[in-house]
Amino acid sequence: MAEKLLEIKNLKLYFNKDKKNEVKAVDDISFDIYKGETLGLVGESGCGKSTTGRTIIRLYDATAGEVLYKGEDVHKAKNKAKTLEFNRTMQMIFQDPYASLNPRMKVIDIIAEGIDLHGLAKSSKERTDMVHKLLETVGLNRDHAGRYPHEFSGGQRQRIGIARALAVNPEFIIADEPISALDVSIQAQVVNLLKKLQRENGLTFLFIAHDLSMVKYISDRIGVMYFGRLVELTTSEELYKNPLHPYTKSLLSSIPFPDPDYERSRKRIAYNPHDHNYAEGEELKMREVTPGHFVLCSEKEFQEMKAQSANEVL
Amino acid sequence: MNNILTVKDLNISFNTYAGEVKAIRGVDFELKKGETLAIVGESGSGKSVTTKAIMRLLPKSNSEIKEGSEILFDGKNLAHLTDKQMEKIRGKDISMIFQDPMTSLNPTMKIGKQIAEPLIKHQKFSKKQAMDRALELLKLVGLPQPERRINQYPHQFSGGQRQRIVIAVALACNPKVLIADEPTTALDVTIQAQILDLMKNLQKKIDTSIIFITHDLGVVANVADRVAVMYGGRIVEVGTVDEIFYNPQHPYTWGLISSMPSIDTEDEELFVIPGSPPDLLNPPKGDSFAVRNRYAMAIDLEEQPPMFKVSDTHYAATWLLHPDAPKVEPPAAVLKRQRKFPVTNDPKGEV
Repeated sequence: MAEKLLEIKNLKLYFNKDKKNEVKAVDDISFDIYKGETLGLVGESGCGKSTTGRTIIRLYDATAGEVLYKGEDVHKAKNKAKTLEFNRTMQMIFQDPYASLNPRMKVIDIIAEGIDLHGLAKSSKERTDMVHKLLETVGLNRDHAGRYPHEFSGGQRQRIGIARALAVNPEFIIADEPISALDVSIQAQVVNLLKKLQRENGLTFLFIAHDLSMVKYISDRIGVMYFGRLVELTTSEELYKNPLHPYTKSLLSSIPFPDPDYERSRKRIAYNPHDHNYAEGEELKMREVTPGHFVLCSEKEFQEMKAQSANEVL
Repeated sequence: MNNILTVKDLNISFNTYAGEVKAIRGVDFELKKGETLAIVGESGSGKSVTTKAIMRLLPKSNSEIKEGSEILFDGKNLAHLTDKQMEKIRGKDISMIFQDPMTSLNPTMKIGKQIAEPLIKHQKFSKKQAMDRALELLKLVGLPQPERRINQYPHQFSGGQRQRIVIAVALACNPKVLIADEPTTALDVTIQAQILDLMKNLQKKIDTSIIFITHDLGVVANVADRVAVMYGGRIVEVGTVDEIFYNPQHPYTWGLISSMPSIDTEDEELFVIPGSPPDLLNPPKGDSFAVRNRYAMAIDLEEQPPMFKVSDTHYAATWLLHPDAPKVEPPAAVLKRQRKFPVTNDPKGEV
């Protein structure tokens, strides 16, 4: 099995902890991310997928749990140097290319901010060269370095955001809905770019999105979140072919696909969390139903699902 | 089928500091009774401007519907009605659902009153009658506990519920035409599916015609009977939903369809439309898509292609359909679709 790059163990993030309005945005989730893979994280707005990404990169301090990067806890970095090192190897691409670039900075300074902070360039010429190279990598050209963000279109800005993330040679990138704000034709450009960068630089991605067809296309494995919990995790192919958790089934049955024939025959499945009828004291946890296919379920449901998938094999 | 709305040679410009932006450049289409026509295109392609023109919601100060534009509805040309005349039609015969349910309701008014408002204004209902009808409408759009919730304010509802309320307002007077401008873009997929089902059911019940604007081709495949594809202020292809999805002719439609992964897209690279949409301040000479079009020919840079007829219901504006044009191979994803829906491709010439 591939090397684990990141292990998330029982991660919790509660807003307004111990107050009346406590929100369990991320509620005890665990998963691993392997080196070189793209893990997709999907769910509806408010399910905690962005919060998960932001907690992993330590934009929020976790309420409980661990985020181990190559075996070391990101949230317990011993000193400043270590924190800086984590910050260099993990980068983030944000959803809104209009809000995530400082309008008063030139593109060259936006991209080079990380380079300066980490002291990656020895001279200002080297710094400029690095920025030019990055701009070309993401499909812009070097003349763009001297301009301001408002002079660019949405797709171009997202490319600048990607160049900024790449500037410090990260190994792991969290992409939080990087294409949701873009037009269809531009989405494909950005997705192809991300895939190319991953191939060439061996990057690992956590790809957060709600557009399920794009997630399936870009991800190796997909995790489905519902109300702060991870309810299902498996390879993208398996998830679409053989969803096990009723919420996943409902979610998949709601996605419209650009195919009229398919749409005419689509049956929507509704999900009601009360249908589980969990008994008092039943332990809910991620259980491996078939190899690599994890579902949040009770022991009883687990046995049922196991029996069912064994039947299907026969 | 008879046409309920006909748009002919619609031209709209915006006057900006930088100059005249020709946002709509000769749009023709018709809406048939009881059908759903989807208009798709990228941001800036003119889909919203077209429908706002039908509703006459464009700001007078900086926009202009050009002389000769026709929006024919019920024997009247809406393009040149006065505000007073238009007020009698807007919200009664033609109504609109907006993209953002968070901002299209009045936050200081109880929802029941907002639904009753058009009824009192257009149908001369009494207050009591209007509120009864509002309650009926809330039941129709499937809002839970309507008796209690009719007296609540918009902020007390979720996004999906608000969109149901907006739909109730729009349907209050049983409009002949309903314009839905990205009604589900701001919603989650499971809620989106509910709203789309609701709209389809209501359409059957009250027999209205819908113009559905969206950039999501999945939604189009779900709701549309016919599809018009817009690019750079023009309609570049129009046809039935099957014709557009299984036998597209315009290279821009090819690009749109193949740049989205479908259910069975494997690991191949996504087809990409290079570059970005045209600048309508200085629209390029010839076909505005030519610079992004890998199938462009010399003539595309010189002359705007006319509409070519593909079938009785299917038209596309591309020189590739000209009898003298060379045969080209569409992208792989499009070929895959064409195999699903075999049609004899026999261009019938210019229209």
